[in-house]
Amino acid sequence: MRLNRLDLTRYGRFSDAQIVLPKPADRAPDVTIIYGPNEAGKSTTFNAFLELLFGMKARDHPYDFRFKRSDLLVGAELDIPGRGSVVLQRNSKKSQSLLDDQNRPVDESILTAALHGVGRDTYVERFSLNDEGLRQGGARIANAQGDLGQLLHAGVSGLTTMAATLDQMTTRADQFHKKGGRSTALKAGKDRLAEIAQALRIAGLTPDKERALLSAVEKAQTAFNTSQSLLVTAKLQATAGSAAQDWFDRSNQIETIDQQLANYPSGPDLPHGTAAQVAALCTTIREKSARAAEANEKIAALNATIAAQPIDPDIAKIAAAIADLDSLEIDGAPLMARAVTAASDLDKRVAALSDLNTQISQVLADLKTPNVAAASLSMTPSDLEALTQATQAVLTAQNMLVAAQDTVTSAKASAPSKPAAPQDSSQLQTAWAAWQSVADISVAQNAVTTETARLNDATATLPQGWDALIDAGLPARDTLAETAKSMLKCEADLTTAKAELNTRETALRLAQAKLRADAASPAAIDAAAAAQARRIRNEKWAAHRATFSRSSADAFEAAMFGDDDAQAGFVDGAEARGQLATTRREEAAAQAMRDEAKNHLENITAQFAALTARCADLATALGLDPETGPHAFLERHSALSGAAQIAAQLKNAKAEFALRNDMKNEAQDALSLAAKLVELDCSKDALPAAVQAAITLEDSVQRTWDQWVRTDSEITKLIEKSKQAALNCETAQRNFSALTAVLPLAGWDADKVMDALPHLRHLQALLHEQVQLTKRVRELENAIELMEGTAARISEYVAEPKGDAITQIDAARVLVTKANDQARDREKAAESLTAETRILNAAKLAKSIAQDELDMLFDGQGPDDQNSNARVSKLAERDNLRAQRREHDDARNKSRTASDPALFENELARLPDAGRAATLLQTVEEADVARLEARVGLSDAKREYQIAFDAADPSDLITEQATIIEELRSAAQRAAIARLGVLAAKSALRSLAAERRTTMLQDVENAFVTITAPSWASVDVWSESEGERLIGVQPDGTKVPVEQMSTGTMGQLYFALRVAGYHSFIRDLGPLPMILDDIMETFDDARARAALQLCESIGHSGQAVMFTHHAHLVDLARETIDGVNIVAMPN
Amino acid sequence: MRLIVSADTHLGSPIRSAALRNPALGDRLKQAGRDTFQAIVDLAIREKADALVLAGDIFDSDYPDLRSRAFLMTQLLRASGAGVPTVLIRGNHDALLDHGELGPDIHLLDRANPTIQIGNANFHGLSFEANHTTQSFLPDYPAPVTGKTNIGLMHTSLGGSPGHDPYAPCSKQDLLAHGYDLWCLGHIHLPSTHAAGDVLAVMPGIPQPRHFGERFGGSVAMVTLGDDAPELVMQSVGHLRFLETTLDLTHCADQSEVITLLANALRDAQDPDCDTALRVIVTTAQHTVDDLDALVAEQLYGIDRVYVDKIKTVLPKATVDGDPDDLMRFMCAALDEDGFRQAAAQVLSDLRGALPADVRDVLADENLNALLDDALVEVSQSLHGLDGA
Repeated sequence: MRLNRLDLTRYGRFSDAQIVLPKPADRAPDVTIIYGPNEAGKSTTFNAFLELLFGMKARDHPYDFRFKRSDLLVGAELDIPGRGSVVLQRNSKKSQSLLDDQNRPVDESILTAALHGVGRDTYVERFSLNDEGLRQGGARIANAQGDLGQLLHAGVSGLTTMAATLDQMTTRADQFHKKGGRSTALKAGKDRLAEIAQALRIAGLTPDKERALLSAVEKAQTAFNTSQSLLVTAKLQATAGSAAQDWFDRSNQIETIDQQLANYPSGPDLPHGTAAQVAALCTTIREKSARAAEANEKIAALNATIAAQPIDPDIAKIAAAIADLDSLEIDGAPLMARAVTAASDLDKRVAALSDLNTQISQVLADLKTPNVAAASLSMTPSDLEALTQATQAVLTAQNMLVAAQDTVTSAKASAPSKPAAPQDSSQLQTAWAAWQSVADISVAQNAVTTETARLNDATATLPQGWDALIDAGLPARDTLAETAKSMLKCEADLTTAKAELNTRETALRLAQAKLRADAASPAAIDAAAAAQARRIRNEKWAAHRATFSRSSADAFEAAMFGDDDAQAGFVDGAEARGQLATTRREEAAAQAMRDEAKNHLENITAQFAALTARCADLATALGLDPETGPHAFLERHSALSGAAQIAAQLKNAKAEFALRNDMKNEAQDALSLAAKLVELDCSKDALPAAVQAAITLEDSVQRTWDQWVRTDSEITKLIEKSKQAALNCETAQRNFSALTAVLPLAGWDADKVMDALPHLRHLQALLHEQVQLTKRVRELENAIELMEGTAARISEYVAEPKGDAITQIDAARVLVTKANDQARDREKAAESLTAETRILNAAKLAKSIAQDELDMLFDGQGPDDQNSNARVSKLAERDNLRAQRREHDDARNKSRTASDPALFENELARLPDAGRAATLLQTVEEADVARLEARVGLSDAKREYQIAFDAADPSDLITEQATIIEELRSAAQRAAIARLGVLAAKSALRSLAAERRTTMLQDVENAFVTITAPSWASVDVWSESEGERLIGVQPDGTKVPVEQMSTGTMGQLYFALRVAGYHSFIRDLGPLPMILDDIMETFDDARARAALQLCESIGHSGQAVMFTHHAHLVDLARETIDGVNIVAMPN
Repeated sequence: MRLIVSADTHLGSPIRSAALRNPALGDRLKQAGRDTFQAIVDLAIREKADALVLAGDIFDSDYPDLRSRAFLMTQLLRASGAGVPTVLIRGNHDALLDHGELGPDIHLLDRANPTIQIGNANFHGLSFEANHTTQSFLPDYPAPVTGKTNIGLMHTSLGGSPGHDPYAPCSKQDLLAHGYDLWCLGHIHLPSTHAAGDVLAVMPGIPQPRHFGERFGGSVAMVTLGDDAPELVMQSVGHLRFLETTLDLTHCADQSEVITLLANALRDAQDPDCDTALRVIVTTAQHTVDDLDALVAEQLYGIDRVYVDKIKTVLPKATVDGDPDDLMRFMCAALDEDGFRQAAAQVLSDLRGALPADVRDVLADENLNALLDDALVEVSQSLHGLDGA
């Protein structure tokens, strides 16, 4: 495959950019240098090429910053073996993203076959190289320690981490298990499993073990029970001893107390608090005696005070008269307060009343009703307001009536005269509207014209009778696509199969030649031939032994030498026989592979023939020549399908046009009939214009008629309003008349009443004031009269002083006040007298009660020969002795009761015994220690059982055991995989070295010497037990192992390996573009020139494309490579 | 009548998964069998079941430890205390187990006492008396009792399956034609039901799966018997499920896409009601198991209740079919060479000999081909992965 042109249609920063890689002149190397400055888009370009070949990235795309991912598009013109130049494009769709130059989907098999199955990653690894890859590759292959297989593999595949991979896998396997390893995962796991197994064995609670533990628990329980019993007995003994000692001691003390009590009065124990009670009663008797004497003195003084205040019998009557007078009120104030000013106030009120009457007479005069009584015109404020509203209503209604009548008159005067009524043209207008909707049929007519033209265009390239092909039925589009796809695949498969057969036949020829050569080697004699030689020798010897003739001797000699050679050859030829066997297997394998390739080619050829026949049928069905290939099927199918679709659309357009025309004719007939109804008669052609004019004229008449109807309706409404105003006026007048009828205003109209309303309001206020003033004068006159009557009654009891009523009343008040003061003093003295009498009686009673209580306290306590306090002290001493005796008695009884009776009696009988208590205490302590020990033993036994029982739940150990086993299972599998992987890889590398060394080693040497000249002269291979090692040979013959080469040399060796790998691939499968990205930027000119020579060698067998941003490399390339193409990166 | 039907609880048998190397999960699941049994009893009490039926293999061995026995009795007495009687038989795993004295309303059926009546139902069952029996038990089962609901308990491999020994085999047709209304079966860990007319046979499956061979079960059967055909509802009780998922990283353009796909796969495996032990089969040309282990461990921090048991990788089909890589070609060729196979078998033998006996089967000679296939994949992935690093 060759890249002729790369189209960066919409990709990264590029838009419609192209990079053309011209084909080399005859015999010139196919090398293209693409030059552009840094950031010119070299990486973008390489990525675009990869995405063209292998499809675009699905999600976040690194180059969709200018165009959306969905719009990205790259293309290329490629030379593909068997197809020639092909233009392909790639978009970002998930499927069918590979297109041809007409944007039609193309099957991926085109590229898959051209790429020989190489995937994207493999392509990058094998067919691209940059400076970093060169340096890293050089460093990495150093780890191969010169292993020929690894180095050749690196050259072929571009993968340089074989040594690291093998080391990594070996390390992983060793980490799991290594003979003698002390810290491997396997050992750790096994150790832990052993620990768990041991723990499970210990933890397992067997029935026997459980029974033993239970027996120990029961035994310990028995021991504990015994010790517990002994402790209880010892404690009881000690308790009895203590109780007996207590009894003994307290009994002695009780005897002493009994002797002391003989000196005290016998009597009962004093109640608690008697001493305090006696002292309190003595104090009470003393205090109450003093209080009684004080009360007697106060009673005598109060009786004297009462006798000095006599009672006046008339004062009550005087006070009653004054009280009556004070209770009287006038104008809300006491009468007496107003009586002083009443006389002068009365005169003023009478004068004001007279003035008021004069004003009322004046108002009546203003109303011009002098003979009418003022009271007859008296109205309440609400009546006066009702009259005001009624009067105003009459005046308003009258004004509105006049205005309405004036409006009617004015409207009638300005109304137009009645016009003539219009004709009924609704049917004509309906027909006219229907006509207008269908009159224009030009759209349908144009559609027919357009579709006819389209059909002519669509069928221009189609053969005659295309419509018959459509009628006969076209093949399904999917069938055509599938057939084309199958054909493409089949063609690719055919090409591949032919190439495969060629390759396999070549391999077979080589294998056969090698077999012949190996078989011809004398050392290749096999055991059968050796045995045959020995058998012949023995036969000849037997014959010679029988005859001993010369001829038999010669024959035997020849047979003997032949046998010696055969045996020597057989002994020395083990390696050659092995090689021959290998060669035979290889020859057989090559034969089998050739046969398989041949069969495969035959199968593919048969498929191709069947597909070709199928294509011929399809081509005929599409009206194509039967020889036409499937690439034209879809286009013809599209053309026929399009033509069929347009023909159907033309048919529809014609039918639509006919329908529109019929509708137009029907509408015209209807319009003609409607015109005759309004007496419009004219020719068919002139009818639309005549109808339109008639409808326009009829519109004007109709508008005039409508205007007159609206005006007439307005006048009718105004007349109605005028009538309503007249009714309103009558109603207001009736209300007005009803209100004035009850007043002396009969016959007054609304205007006159309206003028009189201010006077009527003034009169109403004056009359109200007149009533109030008359009432006031009457009240003043009554007050004066009442006061004077009261003064006359008082004068009967109070002689002096004589004078007016007020003076007499004041004197009477003084007398009453003095009598009241005396009565209060008398009542106060009487109250005090009562209280003191009560105090006197209470003191006497309390003293008597206290004395009785004191006597009761000492009742039965012997003779009263001491004062009360001394007597009660003596009795308290006696009671105290008695209490001590009871306490001792209770305590000794309590101790006795708390102990075992028998033990108590036994211990009591031992007393007095000073050492008995210590003996009993020691016995208890010894029993307590024994019980404690038994309890510890019981706890231990129970704990041991519980531990064993709890340990019998080994879920965590079992789970851990299972988990470790699963982990070991998984890790063992991975370790085995790693070891087997290393084994397989090393075996494969040996085979690879054996197979490639003959074809690649010369290429490696040529490339290495070219790029390192003059430092290195050749390369060589050392055979070692582990395999073959590559070494470099310097011009002086010094041989240097690869791992001892400098870093720079190692990089150059890697480049040489890659060049050799490229050549190897091309020899096997054919050329693919090799992309080199500034690999020489760190080289000096001599090295760069050498590297360019290697590029030239690539260009001689395939295609080399090198990106660079160094101008001097471009110049160097021009000098070094004849016919090199220099291309600039597009802007 | 409502029954809770279970079997194959295998008390005492641990969960076997490398996922339990997670300490929290390991601690949570060390009692998984018991926790699940407790959940079964809870269900029976909650549903007010008329009986709890256990169709054999209650214990994983004939000699369970005392605590496991005590646990079983505690749970069954708890059920009977709540009014739920238990009917049980012994299976092949606990055939020789002496249950001792059972509590009230706990009925072990065997040849001496093959039938017990509870309500209007007669339960018939025969226990295993040896660990392996190849004869059918069905002919020895009592005849159905007329007028009663007849329920059978049987531990059987039914018709059997390839590669497994028959245990008290019995054809489904014979079983369903015996005249019982319901068969409660045990032994096969995959849940299944069989019906003929109104007769139902239910194999409830293992209530707590224990390893990746048991990516099913986790449930018990709740059967309601009435006038019509028995109604069956499966109820989940398991605390851990085993799940295998596949993932294709072939088209991932960068590491972030790989991480996104891994995280999505882990999230998809989440079950809010129980823990999940996950095995991931990853199709990739450039990632080794070690690479993926590290990535997955990172993602699992944010995803609860999912634990990875194992990651296995396979090469994309395109790589296998189309890559003309010399190395792979020669490695494939080596697999057919006698010398290489002998060397490989020796490698396997050496490693197998160092393993504990319980693990050796993983490196059995018959696994050599599969291991070699994986080895080739590993080499290819490591090589491409390291070069791409």
